[in-house]
Amino acid sequence: MSDGLLTLQGINKIYNETSRHPVQAVSDLNLTVAAGEIVALLGSSGCGKTSTLRMIAGFEAVTSGEVLIKGRPVHGLHPAKRNVAMAFEGYSLYPPLSVAENIAFALKSERLDKAEIKAKVTEIAHLLEISDILERSPGSISGGQQQRVSLARALIRKADLHLLDEPMGQLEPQLRALLRGRIKHFIKQRGLTAILVTHDQTEANALADRIAVMEGGFLQQYDTPEHLKDRPANLFTGTFIGEPPMNVFPVQAEVADDLIKLHLEEGVSLSFPAGAFSPRLKDRLLLEKQFMMGVRPHAVKITETGQPAEVFANQWLGDQTHIAAYFAGQTIVSVRHDRARHAPGQNIGIELDAGDLHLFHSDTGAAFSHGGGVE
Amino acid sequence: MDHMSPLERILRAVALALVVLFFMFPIFWIVLMSLQTNETILRSPPSMAFVPTFKNYAAIIAGRLDSNVASMSIQFMGNLMNSVILSVGSVALALVLGVPAAYAFARHKFKGSEDIAFTLLSFRFAPPLLVLLPLTLYFQSLGLANTYVGLIWVYQLICLPLILWIVRGYFEDISPDIEHAYRIAGHGWFATFRKIALPLAGPGIAAAGLLAFIFAWNNFVFALVLASADKQPVTVGALAFVTASGIQYGQIAAAIVMSIAPTLLLALWAQKYLVEGLSLGAVKG
Amino acid sequence: MSRIEIRNLVKSFKEDAVLSGIDLDVPQGSTLVLFGPSGAGKTVLLRCIAGAIEPDSGDVLLGGASVSDVLPEHRGIGMAFQNFALFPHMSAYDNIASPLTARKKTGDQIRKGVEAVARLLKIDHVLDHTPKALSNGQKQRTALARALVSEPKVLLLDDPLRNVDAKLRFEMRLELPRLLSDQGATVIYVTQDYREAMALGDRIAVLDGGHIIQNGTPEEIYRKPATINIAKLFGDPTINLLDVIPVSDASGVHAMLSDRRIQLDPGLAGYAGKECVLGLRPEALSFTDASDGVPVTIEAETPFNEKSVTLVTTLRKREILLSRPSGTPAPESGTVHITIDPSDAVLFDRETGLRIDPNGSNQAAERAA
Repeated sequence: MSDGLLTLQGINKIYNETSRHPVQAVSDLNLTVAAGEIVALLGSSGCGKTSTLRMIAGFEAVTSGEVLIKGRPVHGLHPAKRNVAMAFEGYSLYPPLSVAENIAFALKSERLDKAEIKAKVTEIAHLLEISDILERSPGSISGGQQQRVSLARALIRKADLHLLDEPMGQLEPQLRALLRGRIKHFIKQRGLTAILVTHDQTEANALADRIAVMEGGFLQQYDTPEHLKDRPANLFTGTFIGEPPMNVFPVQAEVADDLIKLHLEEGVSLSFPAGAFSPRLKDRLLLEKQFMMGVRPHAVKITETGQPAEVFANQWLGDQTHIAAYFAGQTIVSVRHDRARHAPGQNIGIELDAGDLHLFHSDTGAAFSHGGGVE
Repeated sequence: MDHMSPLERILRAVALALVVLFFMFPIFWIVLMSLQTNETILRSPPSMAFVPTFKNYAAIIAGRLDSNVASMSIQFMGNLMNSVILSVGSVALALVLGVPAAYAFARHKFKGSEDIAFTLLSFRFAPPLLVLLPLTLYFQSLGLANTYVGLIWVYQLICLPLILWIVRGYFEDISPDIEHAYRIAGHGWFATFRKIALPLAGPGIAAAGLLAFIFAWNNFVFALVLASADKQPVTVGALAFVTASGIQYGQIAAAIVMSIAPTLLLALWAQKYLVEGLSLGAVKG
Repeated sequence: MSRIEIRNLVKSFKEDAVLSGIDLDVPQGSTLVLFGPSGAGKTVLLRCIAGAIEPDSGDVLLGGASVSDVLPEHRGIGMAFQNFALFPHMSAYDNIASPLTARKKTGDQIRKGVEAVARLLKIDHVLDHTPKALSNGQKQRTALARALVSEPKVLLLDDPLRNVDAKLRFEMRLELPRLLSDQGATVIYVTQDYREAMALGDRIAVLDGGHIIQNGTPEEIYRKPATINIAKLFGDPTINLLDVIPVSDASGVHAMLSDRRIQLDPGLAGYAGKECVLGLRPEALSFTDASDGVPVTIEAETPFNEKSVTLVTTLRKREILLSRPSGTPAPESGTVHITIDPSDAVLFDRETGLRIDPNGSNQAAERAA
């Protein structure tokens, strides 16, 4: 695949390579970003996402592999020569210049006349809610404001690629919700290509067309937010993506002609008509025997007739209710969008649809079935 | 930027070797001198080839300084003992007084606490000679002149401010939350000081004690003025090697080796202890 | 007996007043969440209760008795710190055991106590590790175990889940209420996360600028926020806030949005013609096929934690967010209509920022003033 705007081929990054304790930050990473796409590198701290971004920008040398921008290898090319714009997590504003001058500085190389620069700065300042601080100096504004200035300075530029490192980490939640929509709109309207690094899956889901989930230096899955949610490639992605996290149970299958039984612990078993699973999955279940079953909290139904469970927590959060119950030897969580009144100690029934089940190998964690089909 | 070419690596090794050589050479040379007689040291041209002899050490330990003209008795071992008594005594006293004081200054900000702390530090700024003359007079009338107690008292001018300021910094670096947690768990303030603050500031206290020891050991002028022969430390006692019949380089070198050995060994031993424990991390961020 | 009462507590550092007259009453066995932005004085208040800081004036009563003259070690409090504050030179076991050693228990009692609470918090396998060797989640559980081990009747928890990852934070949020009610302790729990506050608090006290601005059940805080600020702090996506001037006529009280009337509570007639702010929760708005809804234009839609959040603009280009459970059908673009349930609308006085109570008795506002 060389038709992407950005291509990463077999990237490895090893820190302290010659020392006694080399650290492999990124392992054999292959990734393609198409023009006009917004991609999020998502993972917890130390997963290799920031190293990856810094290698794309050119602040960090690759240990092996190739970075191609517009099909052209950029190995050894200075960051300034790669035609990428970057918003840093550490803001890095020029203290002597005002906020407006800081933003306009990014336009210097584009040789625009003053009126044009002013119009562009005004527009982006309005978008990011920093119009009222344009004449202030970077030292006199809050961390959240500095972050928005840094973001403005990156977004205002014309560049092949916009790199955003934790672009909204410092913002208050209220502003974050508003700006997510506006920034996405801005990037899409101008057809920019952007890569953002974040540890916040809400942000990744809201902004990105595709998300690269990373863990331990390895790319776990590179997919659309919908697919990450509905078709997680492995147990890691399955439990990492989604709030609250996916419920996971060890399961044994019993396959009969007309009935498929999934045995959980403590004598709980779920029965499904054979038609709920594809014939190929049925064959597969005969082979797998022991595996892990995942189900999202939003798909857990509470009914009178389901398998017995005992509520131990009911937490109303204003717009949704989280109900936690003992079920098959562990905790199961159900999310309701109304205000459910199941009280702690109450016995409820749990019902799961075959279409909401994700099945993973016990050993490798790789997914082999989503919603009754076979991968 | 994290890559180095082989050439760079070689250059760095050479540069480091030069620095080490520059600083270690005098010690090396002194050790060599201490194993030679005055004749071999002073021959011209100088040569590295000689038959090592322990005569210098024997002379110093026996307390008899033989030169080609005459022989005289010296009390170098007595001086060494005095140094040990004075340094250990004054560091011990400074720790007993200084560590609780440092804790108080670090934890309890009271009116004027900064001023008092600074006044104590300012003792280090004053030229020792400024206080020596009046001190001599006081000491004579108090009967403290030429006593260990008097000298250890004066040595507090060196040790106490050092320990106070270094240890205070270490106490301030301990999150007060850790101590609050211990108090809230039900322990009194003294138990908290003993079981939490002291162990956590341990490396700092050791470092401060070591520094104070070195300063006390190397002190010259206080003892020169306030002590007579039987209480003098090695720094003052070394003057005896400058005799009417010449300077006994070999013996001086042996004396130097013997007098730096305690501090050197102490530093080497403490180094291990200083590094360990400095990186305990219970409090995040 | 372990009711916590705080009476007119004042604390300043140098010239800056951090707490200006705090009154709180936490009944025995209940959990009060102290919620507020950073720098609001939540931690200072906890420390005043624990005795780590002495207040300038006012009183703290535990179980009905003033503890002003009681040293921290004799107050019988369990506390968990945001930064864990574990003793770095002791093993997890010794950390947890420290409240028991202070109480002169026998070695056997100590061992049993530590092991029981460690099992409960699933850290029994790391008891001989030093804090340095523990993961963040294990540190947090060790700190919690230390606070719980002596079964104190008063528990102060200072944002204990702040420094742990999202997954563990969620699990602990579910487990904590059970743990706390098993202990039967009276709890003050500090957090900046509104979800934690709603999930864990029997009541929530919102602290800002040294004052308690509102003290109510989660339901009251969410549905009847005393001020615009509180309304903004609870809920994600945030509440929509629209400047309106209510009109009162024969058909009742209403506000105008996209040239359509939003019916308001008749009790708000007194505010007709005054500058107000209308608060609308994103989940209380929905799309409708009926043409009598408020016409808006869809700008963008973003998925958000199993919800879909739509940004729409009114005729006057005012931005409104709507949210609905993912997977429910909705129009994708163009000009559409939305409906608003008037019972979900909250009206604020624009000048004071206080909520206007349709029933006239503006209690929340009075309390704040």
